[in-house]
Amino acid sequence: MSFVSELTKGIIKENPIFVIVLGMCPTLATSTSVNNALGMGLAATFVLVCSNIFISLIKNITPDKIRIPVYVVVIAAFVSIVDMSMAAYVPALHKSLGIFIPLIVVNCIILGRAEAFANKNNVLNSIADGIGMGLGFTLALTVVATIREILGNGTWLNFKIMPSTYDPMLITLLAPGAFITLGFLMALMNILKEKK
Amino acid sequence: MGFFGQFFVLAISAIFIQNFVLARFLGLCPYLGVSKKLDSAFGMGMAVIFVMTLASAFCYLIFQYLLVPYHLEYLQTLAFILTIAALVQFVEMVIQKNSPALYKSLGVYLPLITTNCAVLGVAILNITPLGDGSRYNFIWSVLNGFLSGVGFTFVLLAMAGIRERLEMVEMPKSMRGMPIALILAGIMALAFYGFMGMKI
Amino acid sequence: MKTYLQLGLILLAFCVVATALLAYVNTLTKPKIEALAIEEAQKAREGLIPNATFEEVNGALTYYIARDKTTNEIMGYTFTAAKNGYNGTVKTMAAIDKTFKLINIQVISQTETPGLGTNSTKPAFTDQFKGKNAEQLVVDKDGGVPPNAIKALTGATITSRAVTSSLKEQILLLQQDLQSNPDAVATKGGKP
Repeated sequence: MSFVSELTKGIIKENPIFVIVLGMCPTLATSTSVNNALGMGLAATFVLVCSNIFISLIKNITPDKIRIPVYVVVIAAFVSIVDMSMAAYVPALHKSLGIFIPLIVVNCIILGRAEAFANKNNVLNSIADGIGMGLGFTLALTVVATIREILGNGTWLNFKIMPSTYDPMLITLLAPGAFITLGFLMALMNILKEKK
Repeated sequence: MGFFGQFFVLAISAIFIQNFVLARFLGLCPYLGVSKKLDSAFGMGMAVIFVMTLASAFCYLIFQYLLVPYHLEYLQTLAFILTIAALVQFVEMVIQKNSPALYKSLGVYLPLITTNCAVLGVAILNITPLGDGSRYNFIWSVLNGFLSGVGFTFVLLAMAGIRERLEMVEMPKSMRGMPIALILAGIMALAFYGFMGMKI
Repeated sequence: MKTYLQLGLILLAFCVVATALLAYVNTLTKPKIEALAIEEAQKAREGLIPNATFEEVNGALTYYIARDKTTNEIMGYTFTAAKNGYNGTVKTMAAIDKTFKLINIQVISQTETPGLGTNSTKPAFTDQFKGKNAEQLVVDKDGGVPPNAIKALTGATITSRAVTSSLKEQILLLQQDLQSNPDAVATKGGKP
């Protein structure tokens, strides 16, 4: 497959959240605002691209038996770097994402791509795959966050867009609203798929 | 408050008020992925309780006696995930050798647990300072791990029980599978919201 | 056995490289993170009492003495108070004057319910603390009558209670500490 098709497949056709259903925890927990969603999405994308590059580089020197622990070490190292850098340069975002930054380590998308793609493909394609999957993740997260922030707070990226008479549906910001919003979004994806 | 009083408070809070799945959003992958059948949900639940308890113990010891004395707190994520991965591998080997029957029922879930964020989550939460700046000690960390695992299993079983029946219900084709499971989870979370903020 | 040793060594090599990398990044980011925390706290203090210099006191309690920049007179004290709210710790920074009345407060960290408990950071809630003394720090749901009490946020009584009672406790503690240690109250500038 070419670079471009590797890049684009993750965004719609093999979207990690809506189609493959991976990485649900951060999707639900950090989609309370578009700001958080973008932060989480980009942090995960960074880790995904870095770990994809690295794993694709070392795929020939890692023995098969210990490949999973090695991947985990690589991913954990990049996550820690992101964690520390965010604490130093974007402290507010770091605070609001909280425990979900170290938990990027166990985001199934990242280990999943390492195992399913990066250890079988060359560096260039692995980069494309990482960017595509990362952007797909970010996109899905942003869509969920958009719905939740507009309905639950009347704002989008902190800009007020609903009229002042609008009474926010707080439930969409709470845990139950997260599940229900994503449930309906997936049903919508299914309908769109059937129509094709 | 005596030991049992505190234990009771922690139990109620870990299982109902701060439920890992429905209030903290941790461990959602197995919650949605392994809840189609009641017996596989049970196997997964037991495996998670086991690993979460052990992981709480080991990660606490590593943090307290290895990372803190040498000011290596920044290695926390790396150290914890390696501990958990090693632990899971070890448990798998031990069970396989000593109890083939147990291995048959739990074995397939064990590798999945390494990437279960509830396990890493509880390890990190155990060492996160509480309201007054203190941290759980060793015993409470282990108990917290165990009880959070129980809370996870509890909602996993409830979910599986409902989903087994849901299979026979007629509904729009687009809602089948994941969408209805998510909406169901939403309704369950709504019910659990009644517990939240409860003061004991 | 030999292969296991070999595998172990390879894994160890990866860990060593990762650790070295993290140690390096840590040396870069750590001073920055610490400086940020100090700067943030300083900014919060300056927001509460403008035009003042702050002097840290580390005794049984940690608090800051605020002095007027020009006259060097004690304007009041700032401190932080924390208590469990609805969904984790609610941390508040507050300033009191010499008569132990609140000058202003700011909720500096919280993880409360979006749209309900998070309203505790807004001026509509925090402004009502101005001028209150310890006795008046009661939430209206607990029998207080505004304006001599705090009006709890709609749908976030527990958060409001956490802020109010943590402040009350801390003020009483500080009051005790200061009165048993009249030095800090009486000295007017020139303290080393």
